Amino acid sequence: MSDIYIICVEDEPQVLDVVIRDLEQLEEFFPIEGAASANDARQLINEIKEDGNRIGLILCDHIMPGDKGVDLLVEMQKDEFTQSTRKILLTGQAGLDDTIQAVNKARLNQYVSKPWKKEELLKIVIDELTDFVIETEDDLLPYLSVLNQEKLQEAIRSKGYI
Amino acid sequence: MPGKSKQKSNQIKFLTGLILGIIGFCLPLFFTFSGLSYAGHIALGIFLMAAVFWMFETIPIYSTSMLVIFLQVVLLSQQGVIFSDASLPTTTAKQHTSDSWLVPAEAVDGERIYIANDSRNYTAIDVKILDRADWVEIRSNELQTDAKIVSNANHKLVGYKPVSFSLFFGTLASPIIILFLGGFMLAGAAVKYNLDKNLTSVLLKPFGTKPGFIVLGLMVVTATLSAFMSNTATTAMMMTVAIPIVAQVAREDKFRIVLALCIPIAANIGGMATPIGTPPNAIAIANLGQQGINIEFGTWVVMMLPLVILLLFLAWLTMRFLFPTKLREFKLSLKVDFNKSRPAIILYLLFAATVLLWFTESVHGIPSSMVAFLPIAGLTVTGVMKQEDIRSLPWEVLWLVAGGIALGISMENTGLAMWLVSSISWDAFPQIVLLGVFGLVALNLSNFLSNTVTATLVIPLAISMGTSGIAGEGFSLVISSLAIAAACNMAMLLPISTPPNAIAMSTGFIKTPDMVKVGIVIGLIGIVATLVLSQLYWPFIIN
Repeated sequence: MSDIYIICVEDEPQVLDVVIRDLEQLEEFFPIEGAASANDARQLINEIKEDGNRIGLILCDHIMPGDKGVDLLVEMQKDEFTQSTRKILLTGQAGLDDTIQAVNKARLNQYVSKPWKKEELLKIVIDELTDFVIETEDDLLPYLSVLNQEKLQEAIRSKGYI
Repeated sequence: MPGKSKQKSNQIKFLTGLILGIIGFCLPLFFTFSGLSYAGHIALGIFLMAAVFWMFETIPIYSTSMLVIFLQVVLLSQQGVIFSDASLPTTTAKQHTSDSWLVPAEAVDGERIYIANDSRNYTAIDVKILDRADWVEIRSNELQTDAKIVSNANHKLVGYKPVSFSLFFGTLASPIIILFLGGFMLAGAAVKYNLDKNLTSVLLKPFGTKPGFIVLGLMVVTATLSAFMSNTATTAMMMTVAIPIVAQVAREDKFRIVLALCIPIAANIGGMATPIGTPPNAIAIANLGQQGINIEFGTWVVMMLPLVILLLFLAWLTMRFLFPTKLREFKLSLKVDFNKSRPAIILYLLFAATVLLWFTESVHGIPSSMVAFLPIAGLTVTGVMKQEDIRSLPWEVLWLVAGGIALGISMENTGLAMWLVSSISWDAFPQIVLLGVFGLVALNLSNFLSNTVTATLVIPLAISMGTSGIAGEGFSLVISSLAIAAACNMAMLLPISTPPNAIAMSTGFIKTPDMVKVGIVIGLIGIVATLVLSQLYWPFIIN
C-alpha cells in the first residue's frame, strides 16, 4: 500500500513552519512535505511519484517568486497523477482573475484566506482528505480514527458489503 | 501508512499460504489413504488447498471459492479431464466349484466385489472369501455365469459417481443464494432510500435519554436491522448515529467504549436471527437442503430468537458492569424524514410484503427463496433498483457462499467428509458432548477465520456424521447444523473476527482487551446456551 502525502507550498519559511505545525497531528498517517516554490513543488511531486506514492492534498500559496500558485494548481489538474489531489489555495493576495482561473481550470476545492485559524484549517484539510480516500481507496477502515468518521461510515454503509 | 516491516510480514504470510496451499493440493496425489476413494483424494486436495487459502487469505476469500468451483468442474465432473472418458475395467468371474468363483485379487475390496452394470455404474455385493491366492476364491449367491465384475476395486469410478459440471455451477443459483440475493436487493434499496436510517430514528425514540437505555436501544435496533441487512452496512450506519453521542462523553469516561462496542456486538448477534442474516446461516441451510431437509424462514427465527435475545441482554449487562458511565443523560437528535417519492413507497410495500410472506411460509407454503424473487423482480421492474444499483450489490459474497456449497457437495459425494470423521468412534460420546465439541471448534476457528469459511469447513463434517450413523442414535442434522452456524456467529473476540469488529476497532474509541473481555463472555455463555436450547427447546420446534 502506498503512502498518501500532503504537500504545502509557501515561499516564506516562517509561514511554512506554521502550516506544517498546524497539521502535525495528521503526520503519522499522511506524511507532510514542504516546498518553497512552484519549481520545488514540481520536483517534490516527481519524487513522490517515482517512489510509488500518491498526493492526497496540496496547500498552496499564490504570490511566490517564479511561477504563481494558481499556475501550479492548473498544471496539476492537467496531469493524471495529480488530478484527484485535493487542491487548497492558502493566500491573502489572489486577485479575482486568478481565483476564477483556479476554480475553473484547477477545480480548486477550497480557498483559505490568511490569516487562518488552526482549527478551521485542520477541519478543511481533514474533510478534503476524507473525500480523497473515499474516492480512491477500497479499505476505509485505517482512516476512521483520523479523518471525518461520520462521512467514512456513511461511505462504508452505502458500499454495503458484508 | 503500514511500515516496511508490515509489508514484509504480509509477503511472508502470502508466500507461506501459497506454498502450503499447493502442498495441500498435491499431498493426496502422492499418498494413498486407505478407505478413501480416488475422487475422495482429489476432493481432499481441493479441500486442503481451499482451507489454507481461506485461512491465510492468500487470495481474497471469494476468489478461493471461485477456484474451488473451477477445480471441481475440471477434476471432479463427469465432463472433466479425469472422468470424461473413464470406464470401469471389467473381467468375468470364473466358476470354480458349484458354488464358488475365482476373481482377480485386485477386484476384491475387503469382503466385497463390484458387478458392472454398464461402463460407469456398478452394484456392490458382499462375498465370503474362501481362499486367497493370485486368484481369490469366493462364495456368493448373487454371482451368475458371465457376470461382468469390476476387475480393479481401486478404480477411479469405484466409490464415486461423477456428477455433471452443471451441478457445481448451479450452486450460484441455488435457492439459498437466491434468498440472499432477495435480501441484498431489499437492503440495497433500503440504503438508497434511507429506510434504514429512518427506521433507526423511529425505533430509538422510545428508549429515552438515559445512557443505559440508549445503549439497549442501539443494540436492539442494530440487531433487528442486521437480521435483514449486511452486518457491516448496519454497523457503519449505526456508527453514524453513535458518533454524535460519543462526542458528548468525556474522553476518560469508559462509556465511550460501550457506545463503540455495543453496535458491532449487536450486529454480529442479530445476524443469527434470520436465514438471510449472515452467510453461515446460508451454508447451514444449503447443507441441510442437500439432505432434503427444508428449514422454513419462520422456523429458523423461532429457533434462534431466544438465543439472540439472551445474548443481547447478556452483552448489555456485561458492558454495563465493565464500563460504567458517570453521565446521567444524553441529547439525541433523531431526524425522521421518510422519503415519500414513488420508488420509495414501492420499496416500503415490497419490503413489508416480502417479510410478511417469509414469516408466513407455514400458512401459504411458498418457499422463502421463491418469495425472495418478489423483491428481485419487483424492485427492478419498477425501476427502484437501477443498473448501477444492481452492479453495486455484494456479488462476491454470493460467490463465496456458492463455492462453500460446492465444496460441501464434493465432500459428501466423494466420501471425503465420511472418511475425515470416521477415524474416531464418535458414538461413544453422548450427543451433547458432540455438539459441544463442534460448537467450540467452530467458535475458535471462526474467531480467526471468516465466519462463512468456518461454517463451510465444519458443517459438512457434522452432516456426514449424522447421515452415516457414526455419530450414534439421536444425532439431529438440523440441530447440529444450526448449533454450528450459531457458534460461527458468536465469534467476536478480536478485531479480525468479524468486519463489524474491525470497524469498531478502527474508530479508535476502544482497545483490543475491551473487545476480548466481552467476546469471551458471549462466546462461552453462548455455547452453553446453545447446548441447553439444543436439548430442551429446538427438538420441540422441529417435531
